[in-house]
Amino acid sequence: MSFADAVTLAPFIAAVLAAAAIILVDFALPGRKVPALATAFIGLAITALLVAVTGQSGATAFNGSYRVDALTTFLDVLFIAIAALTIAYAPDYLEERGLPVAEFSAVLVFAMSGAMLIAGSADLLVLFLGLELMVIPGYVLAGYHKTDGFSTEGAIKYFLLGSFSSAIFLFGLAFVWGLTGTTRIDGVSSVLTQIVAGKAALSPALGMGLAFLTTGVAFKIAAVPFHYWTPDAYQGSPTPVTGYLSVGPKIGAFALIIRLFASALGPLAVEWNIVIIVLAALTMTLGNLVALTQDNVKRMLAYSSIAHTGYMLVGFAAFGAGKLEGLEGLLYYGAAYAFMNLGAFGVIAAIQKRPGVTSNLSTFAGLMRREPALGILMALFLLSLTGIPPTAGFFGKFYVILAAVQAGGWVTALALLAVLNAAVAAFYYLRVVVYMFMREPDAEIPVIRHGRLVWVGLAVSTVLTLALGLFPGILLELVNTAAKAIG
Amino acid sequence: MLSVLNGLSQSLDAYLILSGILFAIGSFGFLARRNAISMLMSIELMLNAVNLAIISFGAFSLSLKVDASVIALIVMAAAAAEATVGLAIVIAIYRNKKTPLVDEYDAMRQ
Repeated sequence: MSFADAVTLAPFIAAVLAAAAIILVDFALPGRKVPALATAFIGLAITALLVAVTGQSGATAFNGSYRVDALTTFLDVLFIAIAALTIAYAPDYLEERGLPVAEFSAVLVFAMSGAMLIAGSADLLVLFLGLELMVIPGYVLAGYHKTDGFSTEGAIKYFLLGSFSSAIFLFGLAFVWGLTGTTRIDGVSSVLTQIVAGKAALSPALGMGLAFLTTGVAFKIAAVPFHYWTPDAYQGSPTPVTGYLSVGPKIGAFALIIRLFASALGPLAVEWNIVIIVLAALTMTLGNLVALTQDNVKRMLAYSSIAHTGYMLVGFAAFGAGKLEGLEGLLYYGAAYAFMNLGAFGVIAAIQKRPGVTSNLSTFAGLMRREPALGILMALFLLSLTGIPPTAGFFGKFYVILAAVQAGGWVTALALLAVLNAAVAAFYYLRVVVYMFMREPDAEIPVIRHGRLVWVGLAVSTVLTLALGLFPGILLELVNTAAKAIG
Repeated sequence: MLSVLNGLSQSLDAYLILSGILFAIGSFGFLARRNAISMLMSIELMLNAVNLAIISFGAFSLSLKVDASVIALIVMAAAAAEATVGLAIVIAIYRNKKTPLVDEYDAMRQ
């Protein structure tokens, strides 16, 4: 590794070192949460600083297998923000259940480093490594409450389906590499360009390889019909972990989709876009319809996260039909979804601080009277998830649907379906709001005191959710440069 | 009979088909078995099928030879990491539920 390689890779190296530092600090001062949390936040801050300094350089490392462009920088910042918010929400919840905070932060930062590796990879193999580095700590986090039956049950379902899909992805990767002779993303792309131009034949084995890659990725983003692991994994996991799992690995997997489909398989856009359109239509419709029937808010948000995957796929379908705005919408949606959904899970984690409090709808009854601040914030996040202005969620949906309308053809039909789905979704989000504001609780629930860090995390989520809704221009410029790095 | 086998061992396709069959057996095992450990073993079989495909590509094409060894080693490392975490999760859930059968993990079914 040359010095220039190390500079290009600096944010990733800093993230891995930060995770290692948390473990070392916990080793020196066992069981103390403040030093571990301080190390985590300082490490994330240094990583963010390095991203800002080395970002958008266009530099490559390791013979072109890792490349930093505007999209890498955008995604890196988003992943760091997700990790920092999750670490802010977690300590309160974990401590009450006797779970160590330091290991949680370390494993989470390792997972974040994997997502960062995906964001910067210019090679299929690095893409796979980043994917594994992102999901394996995710399995650990899902089962973090190891004496709790729900947590381990969620973890094993997440693990089994996750490694099954990794094997499928890898089988596809092996054939694509063997038949194109390269793992470099631009190398695969140029071979496919020749095939599309008719200079070479598309062998059935290569087609099969591409199909396996697509299936593997569809599992990772939890697109219908590859979504069966999602509800159980999300409902079972400790609540702060659910918040992380619903945004971190999801946006990481979308980074993988962008790198894989938009760059490597770009020449085949006409072919794969049919698949994306079908997946998007199924994913948002089924996710929303099943979410309607859920009485557990965590499970309801799990199904709604499937629906949100569908909306993001609508943006990607618009991109596949040749509209760069679709990719911009997808990135905007990803950022908006990350902050509003983490905020919602932050509130649920705060309510569930006392062990034994379920995430059933009845827990939310009378929340407005019991804890008005949490009630108002939860209402804001739910309105944003519904897509009501002036919140981040509105502009996320707006840009995605606008791009889909402009794309024409079947993608426009998809835009219509997305609008209908958003209307259906309003029902189950607002049901929670009705419970919070208008229902009386069955039993008297004592008021809980929340840690300062939770309030800071909620404040950041709130500010970002509102800022992205009131001043969309700030982020729009960033997603525009990020999208141009691909298109 | 021997000459047929000899001929097969000279063709890349034969190895790729074998790898495909192994992968199919692995996926069938994953879908049909209800024991978490057996499902883990099936996943390992699928990953080994992938490695077989990678190594055969390397053995039959000079330009892929070095890459093949590197990719196969990386796949093995990733598979080992995955198996470690997987077994830890299986042990944790066995302590909670006292059974390795995934059918019985239905506390959240509605």
